[in-house]
Amino acid sequence: MNVSTATLLSTEPAWDGAFVSWFHAPELARGVEPGQFVMVHCSVEGLDPMFARAFSYYRVDGDRFAILYQVVGRGTRWLSEQPTGAVVRMYGPLGKGFRLPDDPGNLLLIGGGVGIAPLVDTAERAVAAGHHVVAMMGARSESHLLSAAAWPKEVEYVVVTEDGSAGAKGYVTQHLGKYQEWASKIYACGPNPMFQALADTLRFNGRRQRPEILMEENMPCGWGMCYGCAIFTKHGVRLCCKDGPRFNLFDVY
Amino acid sequence: MPPSLAVDLAPGHKTGLALRNPVMTASGTFSWGFEFAKQFDINALGAVVSKGVTIAPRAGNQQPRVAETPAGMLNSIGLQNVGLDEVITELAPKWAKWDVPVIVNVAGDTIDEFGEMAAALDGLPGIAALELNISCPNVDIGGIEIGQDPEASARATRAAVRNTDLPVIVKLTPNVTDPVKLALAVEAEGAAAICAINTVLGLAIDTKRRRPVLPRARGGLSGPAIKPVALRIVYDVAKAVRVPVIGCGGIRTGEDAIEFLMAGASAVQVGTATFADPRAPLDVLDGIEAWCAREGVEDLREIIGCALPAPV
Ligand SMILES: Cc1cc2nc3c(=O)[nH]c(=O)nc-3n(C[C@H](O)[C@H](O)[C@H](O)COP(=O)(O)OP(=O)(O)OC[C@H]3O[C@@H](n4cnc5c(N)ncnc54)[C@H](O)[C@@H]3O)c2cc1C
Ligand SMILES: Cc1cc2nc3c(=O)[nH]c(=O)nc-3n(C[C@H](O)[C@H](O)[C@H](O)COP(=O)(O)O)c2cc1C
Ligand code: FES
Repeated sequence: MNVSTATLLSTEPAWDGAFVSWFHAPELARGVEPGQFVMVHCSVEGLDPMFARAFSYYRVDGDRFAILYQVVGRGTRWLSEQPTGAVVRMYGPLGKGFRLPDDPGNLLLIGGGVGIAPLVDTAERAVAAGHHVVAMMGARSESHLLSAAAWPKEVEYVVVTEDGSAGAKGYVTQHLGKYQEWASKIYACGPNPMFQALADTLRFNGRRQRPEILMEENMPCGWGMCYGCAIFTKHGVRLCCKDGPRFNLFDVY
Repeated sequence: MPPSLAVDLAPGHKTGLALRNPVMTASGTFSWGFEFAKQFDINALGAVVSKGVTIAPRAGNQQPRVAETPAGMLNSIGLQNVGLDEVITELAPKWAKWDVPVIVNVAGDTIDEFGEMAAALDGLPGIAALELNISCPNVDIGGIEIGQDPEASARATRAAVRNTDLPVIVKLTPNVTDPVKLALAVEAEGAAAICAINTVLGLAIDTKRRRPVLPRARGGLSGPAIKPVALRIVYDVAKAVRVPVIGCGGIRTGEDAIEFLMAGASAVQVGTATFADPRAPLDVLDGIEAWCAREGVEDLREIIGCALPAPV
């Protein structure tokens, strides 16, 4: 972890109500694993809101990195309104990220909503390491989808929307279909109900893929100090920020 | 010449509790110290205070455990901790390798448990003092019930003091009409120092669910929002007792710490500020040093209690 400031380079819309912000900050972009996160202060003096907000690393490129975020409250709104050149306080990288298999395999990445954020970087690294990658993305509707151009061209990108306005209709977990058998390893990030549905679907035939998931919990500190981010697993209570955010799906669900 | 920042928090006690500087961490806001030690120089701190320890390990409360508030937070963690045995066998030997004194925060369910834990931790390398947590608002038994009653607080203090040669610090709850009564009661039973304050009882409502945010409804308020309350209590207690007072509540800058020292605290604890800014305790220390240099203060003890009324 490094405690530092980052200079905002750009903010572009990703979809309706979501943005990609690129920052310049060498100490925060160094040694990042896919699925790790950074704590970003979303106020100037740090009193209201007092705590930094957690965001997955969306992309990392040399001294620069990007986050992809949905505006849901005060902090994310503040961030989306900062001008280019703004200096933002942050600390990271934090947490345990995904572990890619050593031998080339068939990797299925499943993202729900803004849970897509850490999966693009994961896909890039997986492709570079010689894995085959299918990325399944679930969104509310066509206007809540990440552009296919954001993915490496080697990745097969499968879209599912709740209203059927793009791709198959319903939830990603209802459309795992043939990919379920094809995959040798599964990685997922999204809301808790998605993890539950995934576990229910894979419980009887997919355990061999030992799915890894990235979980979210309210994180005042993000570095193991407050014990606010407890996740109750089958093996006892864990801290999402320090012991996670990567968990084995079947340790939790 | 850099200013002298050394303080002794247990001057009358046989081992004393000498700190290189007055900046401590607050219990429950620093885990067991190892996260910080991985990132920063832990020996730069005056002292480290551990998370609250109970006899048996605890999983803590259900989610949600925290609610952010303006300049602070409500917490209901529920004393999640590894339990006394693991502190003794696993953690204390690691603390023994540090130069910085480690103070163990103990939370008994009953008066007797304070005695039992004090005895078990007595004489262990790696532990410099005990801090009695008779003021946790987030558990069903023990905690604040003891800490709100001067008589029970006195008995818990006596139980601990009789069972250990370590200095015993007693941490007060602000959730009483007159904290000075508590302070006098525990001082009379041999408390080496008094820490003020633990969290202030508070509540937040989730307007969507039309229910309190936290499952136990109440939580403990901490952070800059409670600083004036903490300062008032430190001031009142320091006026009344002879033992050293440790100030805690909302401290996040050197200037905040100086206020507490002037109100009569001999040392300060940095808590919630560390969540938001990992460097907070180090920044507070740097701030104190810078303030002393700027104001020409050569020995911190010159200003301890300087804002208190002159004794009559
Ligand atoms: C490890 C981790 C990685 C994350 N990565 C991303 C990411 O890449 N992109 C992204 O858009 N978001 C991500 N989040 C969620 C993000 O941290 C929250 O959306 C953000 O904290 C909201 O801040 P706010 O001030 O805008 O909202 P607030 O005003 O604080 O809250 C608005 C709403 O969001 C809920 N909320 C607040 N914090 C969280 C949280 N940590 N998790 C779930 N719900 C929350 C609140 O209960 C409330 O309903 C991540 C969270 C974690 C823990
Ligand atoms: C998440 C959290 C956990 C805490 N746990 C303990 C504890 O185990 N024992 C204790 O004596 N105080 C505990 N406290 C109280 C703090 O040590 C401190 O007294 C209080 O937070 C006020 O200081 P602050 O405003 O600097 O945080 C806790 C506070 C917080 C926020
Ligand atoms: S967010 Fe504080 S311990 Fe995880």
